[in-house]
Amino acid sequence: MTKLPKCEDKKLGLLIDLDTCVGCHGCVVSCKEWNSSGGEKQLSDINSHQKDPVGTFLNRVHSYERENSCTNEAETFYFPRSCLHCEDAPCVTVCPTGASYKREEDGIVLVNEDDCMGCGLCAWACPYGARELDLVSGVMKKCTLCVDRIYSEELPPEDRVPVCVKSCPTGARAFGDFNDPNSDVSKKVRERGGVDLMPEMQTKPVNKYLLPRIKSKDSVSSVGSVVEEETDATGLLGWVDRALSKF
Amino acid sequence: MHPAPSIILFTVLSGFGFGLISIVGLLQFLSQISTVNIVIFSAIGLFFSIIGLISSFFHLANKKNAIKSMSQWQTSWLSREAISSIFCLSIVVGNIGWVIVQNRYINEVGIILFLLSLFTIFTTSMIYAQLKTVPSWNNMLTPALFIFTALAGGSILLLDYASLVLLLIFGVLQVLFWYIADQSFIYRETSVGTALGFSKNEDIRAFDVAHTNRNYLLNEMVYKVARKHAIKIRYISFFAAFVLPMSLILMFPGNFSVSVLVIGIHFVGIYFSRWLFFAEAKHSVSFYYN
Repeated sequence: MTKLPKCEDKKLGLLIDLDTCVGCHGCVVSCKEWNSSGGEKQLSDINSHQKDPVGTFLNRVHSYERENSCTNEAETFYFPRSCLHCEDAPCVTVCPTGASYKREEDGIVLVNEDDCMGCGLCAWACPYGARELDLVSGVMKKCTLCVDRIYSEELPPEDRVPVCVKSCPTGARAFGDFNDPNSDVSKKVRERGGVDLMPEMQTKPVNKYLLPRIKSKDSVSSVGSVVEEETDATGLLGWVDRALSKF
Repeated sequence: MHPAPSIILFTVLSGFGFGLISIVGLLQFLSQISTVNIVIFSAIGLFFSIIGLISSFFHLANKKNAIKSMSQWQTSWLSREAISSIFCLSIVVGNIGWVIVQNRYINEVGIILFLLSLFTIFTTSMIYAQLKTVPSWNNMLTPALFIFTALAGGSILLLDYASLVLLLIFGVLQVLFWYIADQSFIYRETSVGTALGFSKNEDIRAFDVAHTNRNYLLNEMVYKVARKHAIKIRYISFFAAFVLPMSLILMFPGNFSVSVLVIGIHFVGIYFSRWLFFAEAKHSVSFYYN
């Protein structure tokens, strides 16, 4: 049913630390790999080894720059974008077939591919571009929070986390229950001020982001302090310089 | 947003069809129409509505599940639209059959058809008006414009001077819609800053793309090709959908063959208007690709 649950027992989601993410796209690759290896339900690619390849991904990493207000120099940061498993998920309520739903037990937003008719309205309703229509199978794809990993009884306990979290080499991604005030993710959100994306859309995202801290003047070496400025050479080099300049 | 021809044709044709059905229904309720005309114009309305619905079917990527779209009427406007249109068209077929067999009509069925076809157009418009992600659609002008576009189009064949009033309301709503659409992002809080969790005015630029080629999101929701000629197309649309039909009806009031010509010209204008409706609409995901 496309009615949203009144309250969820758990709010499982991701905490993504933009201060730590180095933009390696490891989460993108491992996500694609995990979600394309389980039998029929693939994330398809078209022209994967030819000109103009296009493919379906559940996670994309963008790169941005902004000016550091302290040092006046540009700083880059990386931004992984995926489903935020919103409490008021507009993608769920617009679905006409009942394929989209939000689970009452843990708040995960999923698509039942056997019911999806590929109209694409849920992708329009999502402010974050978290849903992509698979052009081969004709059904909507989205992050499942690796529901087939986190409850798996075959995987060793330490692997029962979303594959993007498991594969992140810098530990920029954490997985946990945001409904539990004592969970690691909830503590970090409190300590470092986790934020919502586009709060004005009133979707109440479960996933939170930790923004890049503004680095102080002392902690970064400015461009000028490392690279030598061009000055006139002296001594032997100076003589070579002057001699060559004559020609 | 990507102006898919299947969706534009759907909203234009089924809008006209349901508009015609609602006008026939109103005239039937007021006993202002002959039984022959009820049959003829209901059939024309039915034809255009069905062509429109078939066109929308071609937009689906997984057509075999289309029947399931009738199930989620409690939350989904698209589902309500599917149910309402099928229900309305069934009554139209029943009404046509009754009128042919009995050679008379029931006035009350007319008012039901009038309200039900207006509700169907309303549900179509709410598919777009409900989306907070597209601020230029997310207001009550969208349903108002859709309803009066349909009523104006539907009235051209059946009413003479009354259709001028409906065309005039449509024209005003159309200009107002374009005016508001141009303002929408000024009044909204979304920016690349809020998209990334910062404040609205944070100065952030994308310096590299997230993927090396176009993808579904860019093709579907970050469609910018159209905006270059948008103003010119608005003039063409307004001239064909409003100015020419108004002038021709004023010059040849009550001339049926002119009305048919007017419908053709009006269609062209409405097609351009709907094309702009999609092509000019800016979706919030485009902020990630600023």
